[in-house]
Amino acid sequence: MAFIQASTKKHLSRWVLVSLTVFLVVVLLISLTKGAYSIGFSQAFAALVKPLGFHLEAFDIRSSNVLLKIRLPRIMLAVLVGGGLGISGAALQGLFRNPLVEPGLIGVSSGSALFAVVFLVLLPGMASTVPFLEKLGLPLFSFIGGLVNVFAVYYLGSKKEGESTATIILAGVAINALAGALIGLTLFYADDTALRSFTFWSLGDLSGATWSKLPIAAVLICIPSLVLLRGSKNLNAMALGEKEAFYMGVNVNRTKVILLVSTALIVGVAVSLTGMIGFVGLIVPHLMRISFGADHQLVLPGSFLLGAILLNFSDLLARTIAIPAEMPIGVITSLLGAPFFMSLIYNLKK
Amino acid sequence: MLRASNIQFRTKNQTILDSTSLEVESGQITAVLGPNGAGKTTLFKLISGESPCSCGEVHYNGLNVAKFKARQLAEIRAVMPQHSSVNFPFTVREVVELGLISIQAHNPDKTIAEVMDLAQIEHLQAREYSLLSGGEKQRVQLSRVLVQVWERKPYPRYVLLDEPTSSLDIAQQHAVLDILCQLKNRNIGVLVILHDLNLAAQYADKILLLKSGKVCFCGPMKEGMDEFLLEKVFDYPIKCMHCEATNQLIIHSSNQSKMYSSSRTM
Repeated sequence: MAFIQASTKKHLSRWVLVSLTVFLVVVLLISLTKGAYSIGFSQAFAALVKPLGFHLEAFDIRSSNVLLKIRLPRIMLAVLVGGGLGISGAALQGLFRNPLVEPGLIGVSSGSALFAVVFLVLLPGMASTVPFLEKLGLPLFSFIGGLVNVFAVYYLGSKKEGESTATIILAGVAINALAGALIGLTLFYADDTALRSFTFWSLGDLSGATWSKLPIAAVLICIPSLVLLRGSKNLNAMALGEKEAFYMGVNVNRTKVILLVSTALIVGVAVSLTGMIGFVGLIVPHLMRISFGADHQLVLPGSFLLGAILLNFSDLLARTIAIPAEMPIGVITSLLGAPFFMSLIYNLKK
Repeated sequence: MLRASNIQFRTKNQTILDSTSLEVESGQITAVLGPNGAGKTTLFKLISGESPCSCGEVHYNGLNVAKFKARQLAEIRAVMPQHSSVNFPFTVREVVELGLISIQAHNPDKTIAEVMDLAQIEHLQAREYSLLSGGEKQRVQLSRVLVQVWERKPYPRYVLLDEPTSSLDIAQQHAVLDILCQLKNRNIGVLVILHDLNLAAQYADKILLLKSGKVCFCGPMKEGMDEFLLEKVFDYPIKCMHCEATNQLIIHSSNQSKMYSSSRTM
């Protein structure tokens, strides 16, 4: 009986992950064809197999250009950023033992934004003089900013034992306020060129995707995501409390540092590429838990897939709602996320 | 054997626990008794390896606790703290399985099934933990702790429990201690903090009386359950009686004599 239960659980996890992947592929295919420039499925397929050496009847150079140069990198960036935000939201919630935590709410994103602004505004010369910093400077600075804030929130807001739902949110509010003020201060001293590059960056959402940005994003989001997945078992133990996790044989401090650094890296890179996209990291893990239970071994990979789905879906809306104009994607995710957050608070009250 | 020798814990300006020594043998239940603030929980933290001792050493089967990695320590001792909350919708079975997270078990399914049977929570295993009653939660937590050391090993293991009977009704309290009694024949030593003197008298083999960070008594239960000693430790009138019907010790506490005398002086 016990054995059957364990095996069905594994079976269920696999089934869930496979269906989420299929769902993601479907959403991606729809995203490829829809947009300001509509492309048929056959054209899309023809354009995709062309680089592999197959020439099909439906091939059309214009749709191929739109697809390969604009839409495909954008969709892949949405997969990486959405998945990264989803999995880091799930990891942070597990680590803080707090279902209300989200990279944006607790100030990780704003810390990344602050350091990104500092890099863009105060150190504009650095990027051009040091070749290594030209591509990596922005993600690097965002990562450091996220790291500073995630540790600050952790030590300011979380108690060693018991629930600390309120204090963590309050710590996040305080840190968000400080980061916001410092961003404002930095901008106050910015010159025109720096301001312009900041404006472009902050509006940059997903439309800034290019093939040259993708490899960095892929490496810096996928590796820490894998690290998080490896820690999912320990996260289950941490859900009972740090003390309990130690009693059960988990190296609590090491786990904590690894998880915090990984999430800061993911969020930092995501913010440096797309600006702040809120609420994905909040909604996605919740949907996973409500639907399939709290086991982090399923919640974490599921959150990556569901995050990718949600962000692609939001991006699809953003691109198609007001053709030919494009709505900022942050607007869409916040429109979906804020009511969700309110309902969570309402339920928590009960 | 689990041995604490002359352990001490000091904060900046006060000594919480002063040179305490204690031995927990496998196959025995050792109860720690004392008033609030006596240092019981501090002692517990030092012995479990959670906090380092300011002075003195704790040895598990001859090895210093400070030398163990968390993972190795988990193989020989399991700990049940006073309150464990779970914020996420884990099922009962998932919570119990967590106990095995860093244990190399030969047959995890059998271990879990046996412990769940012992704690009578098998029927709950698919339920969500946070929706259980207080007593059920306590039994689930106890099972999670027990699976950690349940499997028979060539060396003795230890279970430490901090007030496992708090907030339980009488039947549940006895159920928990009955479970602890069944650990004796598995080469497991039990160290348990209790508040109820009668429970200690019924189930403990040894008791440790603690007051203001100092050990007042450590030895066999029958010798420690002494009226003078208990009155001194708890600052309260206590009578020890022998119940003919059950052949057990009954600890009776009442300040009626005090009330009586004070009303007389009025």
